[in-house]
Amino acid sequence: MSEVETVASPVDLTRLYKALFLAIVATFVVVPLLATVLGGFKSLGELRVNPFGLPQRWQWSNYADILLSWRYWELLRNSLVISTLTVTLTLIVASMAAFAFAHVKFFGSSMLLGYLTLGLLFPAATAVLPLFIKVRDLGLLDTYFGVALPQVAFALAMSILLLRRFFKDLPHELLEAALIDGCSYFNFFRYVTLPLSRPILATVGTIAFVNSWNAYLLPLVMLNSDSLYPWPLGIMVYQGEYSSDWHLILAFITLTILPTIIVFIIAQKHIIAGLTAGAVKG
Amino acid sequence: MRGRVASAPSIGSMSTSAGATPERGSIRDGKLALAVIFLPPALLLFTLFVVLPIGEAAWYSGFNWNGFGRPTHWVGFDNYRLVLETRAFWLALRNNGLIVLVSLSIQLPLALALALMLADRFRGAVALRMLFFLPYVLAEIATGLIFSFVYDGDYGLVASIWHWFGAEAPHLLASTQTAMLAVLIVIVWKYFGFHMMLFIAALQGMDKNLVEAARIDGATRPQVLRYVVIPLLYPTIRLSVFFAVVGSLQLFDLVMPLTRGGPADSSNTMVSFLYNNGISRMRVGYGSAIGVILFMICVTFAVTYKRWFMRDE
Amino acid sequence: MGWLKRLLLAAAGSLFVIGTAAADTTVKWLHIADNPAEVKIWQEVARAYEAAHPGVKIEMQFLENEAYKAKLPTILQSKDRPHIIYSWSGGVLKAQVEAGVLEDITDQVKGYSDTIAPAALAAFTQNGRVYGLPYQVSQVGFLYNTDLMAKANVDPAKIKTWDDLLAAVKALKAAGVTPLVVGGADKWPLHFYWTHLAVRAGGKAAFEAALRGENGGFEGETFQKAGELFKQLVDLQPFQNGFLGFKNQQAVGYFGDGKAAMTLAISVVYNQQRVQAADKVGLAPDKIGWFDFPAVPGGKGEPTDTLGGIIGWLVTKGAPPEATDFLKFFISKDAQTKLAAAGLLIPVVKGAEAGLSNPFMKHIADNLAKSKYHQNFYDQSLGPSVGRVVNDVTAEIAGGSMTPTQAAAAIQQAWKQGN
Repeated sequence: MSEVETVASPVDLTRLYKALFLAIVATFVVVPLLATVLGGFKSLGELRVNPFGLPQRWQWSNYADILLSWRYWELLRNSLVISTLTVTLTLIVASMAAFAFAHVKFFGSSMLLGYLTLGLLFPAATAVLPLFIKVRDLGLLDTYFGVALPQVAFALAMSILLLRRFFKDLPHELLEAALIDGCSYFNFFRYVTLPLSRPILATVGTIAFVNSWNAYLLPLVMLNSDSLYPWPLGIMVYQGEYSSDWHLILAFITLTILPTIIVFIIAQKHIIAGLTAGAVKG
Repeated sequence: MRGRVASAPSIGSMSTSAGATPERGSIRDGKLALAVIFLPPALLLFTLFVVLPIGEAAWYSGFNWNGFGRPTHWVGFDNYRLVLETRAFWLALRNNGLIVLVSLSIQLPLALALALMLADRFRGAVALRMLFFLPYVLAEIATGLIFSFVYDGDYGLVASIWHWFGAEAPHLLASTQTAMLAVLIVIVWKYFGFHMMLFIAALQGMDKNLVEAARIDGATRPQVLRYVVIPLLYPTIRLSVFFAVVGSLQLFDLVMPLTRGGPADSSNTMVSFLYNNGISRMRVGYGSAIGVILFMICVTFAVTYKRWFMRDE
Repeated sequence: MGWLKRLLLAAAGSLFVIGTAAADTTVKWLHIADNPAEVKIWQEVARAYEAAHPGVKIEMQFLENEAYKAKLPTILQSKDRPHIIYSWSGGVLKAQVEAGVLEDITDQVKGYSDTIAPAALAAFTQNGRVYGLPYQVSQVGFLYNTDLMAKANVDPAKIKTWDDLLAAVKALKAAGVTPLVVGGADKWPLHFYWTHLAVRAGGKAAFEAALRGENGGFEGETFQKAGELFKQLVDLQPFQNGFLGFKNQQAVGYFGDGKAAMTLAISVVYNQQRVQAADKVGLAPDKIGWFDFPAVPGGKGEPTDTLGGIIGWLVTKGAPPEATDFLKFFISKDAQTKLAAAGLLIPVVKGAEAGLSNPFMKHIADNLAKSKYHQNFYDQSLGPSVGRVVNDVTAEIAGGSMTPTQAAAAIQQAWKQGN
């Protein structure tokens, strides 16, 4: 917005205040996370007397035990399966529908679009009980699909709207030319639209993936056997088992949020852009 | 409505611009095939898992049912009456309101202030932005667990401060007075970064000339801020408020590890109230009534907000 | 892509073959036991059964107590539900039978059921049909830390009336000792106080009358009194700091760490405190004592009345017959004697009491044998929905946000509504 002017003392004071403020906020953000990571390296006794600092004796066993356990990897696998299912289905189904809405004018298309917009009005949580009954009646309780399908359904409204707008913004001449050349809609969709839509597909995919990866309520209600639990359920079960062994719980938490943090560091620009841009455009 | 542009861009219309595409039979058929193949999957999934359940919620809410077999015990509006008579419901509503209030009065200004500071490119700005955004990316459930440790009366970070002074630490999450407060702090921690990034995006996309012009006219920095920048940010502020409200209405994962809605329902949110009373006890009718009420709140908010939002465009 | 497709097909095919070849029966067993010593014996029994019955696998799954209660309704709806589930019998069992989620095993246990104490078996029988088998009985009473009580010069043997207890609490507080520890966050540990007061105040007659709706049901005099007496205790602030935030396991650990003088708990806490204590050792057997819940002024209950659980296992509908078979194997004189000898439970199989070597456990067993009225935990006996209301309101009295009158009214209203 404005350049930071290099004038004499009054501005230096402002810079100092700014720096101080930023430092305080940064501390506020970092301290809980750091304590969690370090806590996993301590013994329970040490954790009590020294929660903030570095461990006096680094207990590698807490982390090692978890990393070597099948349980940890099972949780991550389940999360990966569910999230991948959700993202794949969302992208396929939503882009198909968005394409149809973008290019085909038919009787009731606007009504249908309005119908879909209903999905933006309320979260899955409001209908979770009937959703549970429905998933049960479909025999999908305790299956990956029982979690993925509702997630896809609720992601559709936002996804279709985002994709549709993008598709419509693509140059129309491309479509016209293709049609004149005898290209079918389907081929145009597959060979022109989709490749050109990588940015928006990435955005939609990111939002869907993050939401699914972090989801708790839906898996909590739909899944019962712990061999299917994604990691958010897993850490709660772990905490139930080891209620007061904070050093173990903190190690477990650290390891389960590690994938998120790693991916975030690698792809942060992408993720931030995806999550905020998606929000703004929606 | 067909073919006419509504208040929000919504309808896809076939191009009839110059050089019109000849409506050959095959294209018409192609269009039909397209619609028939491309639309149903989305519509089916959506209807099955979004629309039907909310309709069923309205239906189930008229019964006293424990989920087994089919609902048989019709009670009319009794469940609604019960919900409205339950103290915990009003507490949950109050809490949701508190969350929105805190978002507006603390989170938003904080996010704005940080955005103003970090919108520039100075050394470390990007790193700080990333750091502040990080809590948003973490799962709510993990955040809740981390803070249940932070607030723990024996082992927590907060407690250790008291221990330093040799005193016995308060159990913040165990007191009806402080539990909700503790939850609110966690909410700020988690979401301020997201709002900050919204503002940064808006600030970076803002027309610098307007600011420069004001500067040239002799406005001081606070004045520029107040009369130029913030008005230009109104759309983003409104968006921020929108997300804060919608987010608060859905809040569940954060509350569960921290307090489970307690003690004595003092930190319940609407969804945790629904979970504790509807799902945990399998009172499908009662829980559905809560769901319907929550749905009404969501829809009312979304519709009135869109109206207000749209009016200024 | 051709070879990839073939590879995938081959992999899929092999999985299919593996699946059909190993047509084992898996018996899924869901439990809440957090005591490794107990689980170890269970695993030994399971392995023994598997060895004797090739082709059957016993799969154990654990859920913590409160999480189990919260998830059970949804678990039972799944067609993948466990075959053997944990149960506190009572109204919850009745609701489950009515919902049709349990398997009627009456025929399979004919003859075998004679080996089980009749009262215990009755708890798992509804309308003459058997749906599960009892596993242990327990009693609720006060466990105390001998050292801490001595520190405040309180003699537990002299605590016979409610006023004695209140006086003891005051003395403990004066001596700087935390009088009571309770897991308020889970709520059900708090409801023991209220319900035991009701048991002492009105006895069997009052409870049965309330069930019939007589004398104002649960709003009647007995229950008002229970609330008021409980409030007297609460007003003394006898619980540990932050008690509303303590889960039961934490509270048990707190007691095991020697930080509180007394706790009103189920007799199994005697063992649990060892597991939950921070040092995993807890209080030594000679440092723990027990006294029965005191009498209340004007109470119509018998001093021999007990509050506690008849705990066991249920078989869910559609479970393979091996599940019931295993259950019979598990709840047998051998296994029960072993568990009793380890001081882990008070058995239900006739003759297994001989294994009780521990004086503490023996004392509890005697109490239960003498008792003519054994009241099951209210939050279980009154059914799933009403039960949770009882928990909620007692927690609210403890937290000071509800009066005893309001609490009783809430329970009565929930009872009228039914489950």
